[in-house]
Amino acid sequence: MKADISAQTDDGQAFAGSAQAGAQPVASLHQLYPKQNPAATATATAIATAAAPAAPPTPIRFARPRWIRTLARRRVEGVLGLTSLLMMIVCWYLLTRFQVSLYVRFANIPSPGDVLSKFIEINHTTAYANNVLISLRRIMLGFGGAAISGIALGLLIGRYRYVRALLFPALEVLRPIPAIAWVPISVMLWPSNEVSIVFITFLGAFFPILLNTVGGVQAIDDVLIRAASTLGASERAMFRYVVLPGALPHIFSGLALGMGVAWVSLIAAEMISGQFGIGYATWEAYSLISYPEIVVGMVTIGILGWVCSGLIRLVGSISMPWLAFATRRGK
Amino acid sequence: MDSAIQSGRIEVKGARLQFEQVDGTPFTAIDGVSLTIEPGEFVSIIGPSGCGKSTVLNVVAGFSKLDEGVVTLDGVAIEKPGSERGVVFQQYSLFPWMTVRKNVEFGLKMKRVSPSKCEMISRSLLGIAGLLAFENHYPDQLSGGMKQRVGIVRALATSPRVLLMDEPFGALDAQTRTVMQEVLTNMWQRLRTSVLFITHDIDEAIFLSDRVYVMTARPGKVKCVVPIDLPRPRTPEMTTSTEYIALVKQLRGLIRAESLQAMGGELSAGGLAGINTDIGPAGIEGLF
Repeated sequence: MKADISAQTDDGQAFAGSAQAGAQPVASLHQLYPKQNPAATATATAIATAAAPAAPPTPIRFARPRWIRTLARRRVEGVLGLTSLLMMIVCWYLLTRFQVSLYVRFANIPSPGDVLSKFIEINHTTAYANNVLISLRRIMLGFGGAAISGIALGLLIGRYRYVRALLFPALEVLRPIPAIAWVPISVMLWPSNEVSIVFITFLGAFFPILLNTVGGVQAIDDVLIRAASTLGASERAMFRYVVLPGALPHIFSGLALGMGVAWVSLIAAEMISGQFGIGYATWEAYSLISYPEIVVGMVTIGILGWVCSGLIRLVGSISMPWLAFATRRGK
Repeated sequence: MDSAIQSGRIEVKGARLQFEQVDGTPFTAIDGVSLTIEPGEFVSIIGPSGCGKSTVLNVVAGFSKLDEGVVTLDGVAIEKPGSERGVVFQQYSLFPWMTVRKNVEFGLKMKRVSPSKCEMISRSLLGIAGLLAFENHYPDQLSGGMKQRVGIVRALATSPRVLLMDEPFGALDAQTRTVMQEVLTNMWQRLRTSVLFITHDIDEAIFLSDRVYVMTARPGKVKCVVPIDLPRPRTPEMTTSTEYIALVKQLRGLIRAESLQAMGGELSAGGLAGINTDIGPAGIEGLF
């Protein structure tokens, strides 16, 4: 709604104002921007009356308010989202119900029903909740550490050439090493297994966050830096008010990516070296030939990962309100 | 002219600045440029694209350092950007993450002006520019003309001694542009800040300025200064007066030769008129 009004008053009335100024010799600033002044419209020339959209409102302005349109669009999107999940479950059900065996074999794969009853069963034990909580704690510590250090280092590397020259080569060599490849060294490095798993999680999340933060700082339009410097911004103020908010959209993409990789790394680490945790539980179920429990573990990981990414997107949209008005991409 | 204005005098003397091109060879952007802007004066620099007019502004703004020559503001050498020289950029340069009012208040906040005073100053300036209704909007909600108006208000908020404007209306459509020029002359007449205005638009330079510097291309030099003795306030109907039209003719003549030269001498006046460009009876296909 607000955007509609702004376009109207700026270009529409501004133009009417200029034509009016043409008719009367002295144009004050207020005359240039009349606020729906009927007298001004009357004295305006024929051209202005033809061009000024002041009198007849365009049909678009009587369209449903934006929030209703948003809600309608959201509802369609919501229905489509549910359909996508349902389709997946139906496919899964059919493939396991008829035990399809065309090169891929679904004979031993548990059906949605098996998994659901298993889920209800283990939900009565504390072990499941315990594993979920332990995994979540590892994510919070590992991802949290990666977010703090990745953003801080990324801002410095992005802004200062010399910091970049000093740190970036080493980081670029470490980056291609997958977090899982760190497991043996990590076990030797850290005093306990718990810390070593948190470290693996940290490593997984760290690089996407770091690289996106660096990219975000470098993507800031130089004219904004110049503008801030002509307005008297100190280096500190530049960081707080220009560099950080300017890089924020990229930082949040980095955080979302990092969260995904953090889960990948965590589950792998738990499967290899863990005790407790949802990844460990999933692998243990395989060892104990408890097939439905494997899928319970997988579904749990999927949902936890989705909730975590959703939280990041939520925090992102709350902390970047201006993006709601930026041009939307995609149809 | 108001005798109360004493500060805001810009002086550029013998300015020379070289850049290194991509292939490593030096390129002289400006050479021996000297100009002055008296306190409260509106001065434009006009010239073909690539003549170094923006370079002059960048030097005064403190973005670029001279290889030779001096640039001073009220007798003090300019070393780096500072809030006593407000800059309005060609591209939109509002901080997208700040509302209109926060953008305007940014410079004041950097000067540690109290929040209540910040609000008073920003709201009254936004009022002058007809933008008070949009104080809580984000830049992405505004049209191009409004964004540039906010940009001007933001540059003026710290009450700079000079306002430097680098083709600020270049990205706007013709109608919005003429209105913006009127808004600018109106604001300037109220505030009487010295203005250095860069443009390639002859009408714009005449409409706004007290004096117009014409620059030559490669390397950029000052070709001449044309005083604009039109009365103020300037109004759109002045653009049809004989004095105005004479000024347009004069400046157009001065710039045309420079533009042709700036395009590498490939275009000659004769060639543009259709002389010596006969492509033969076979037409274009005959050339292949």
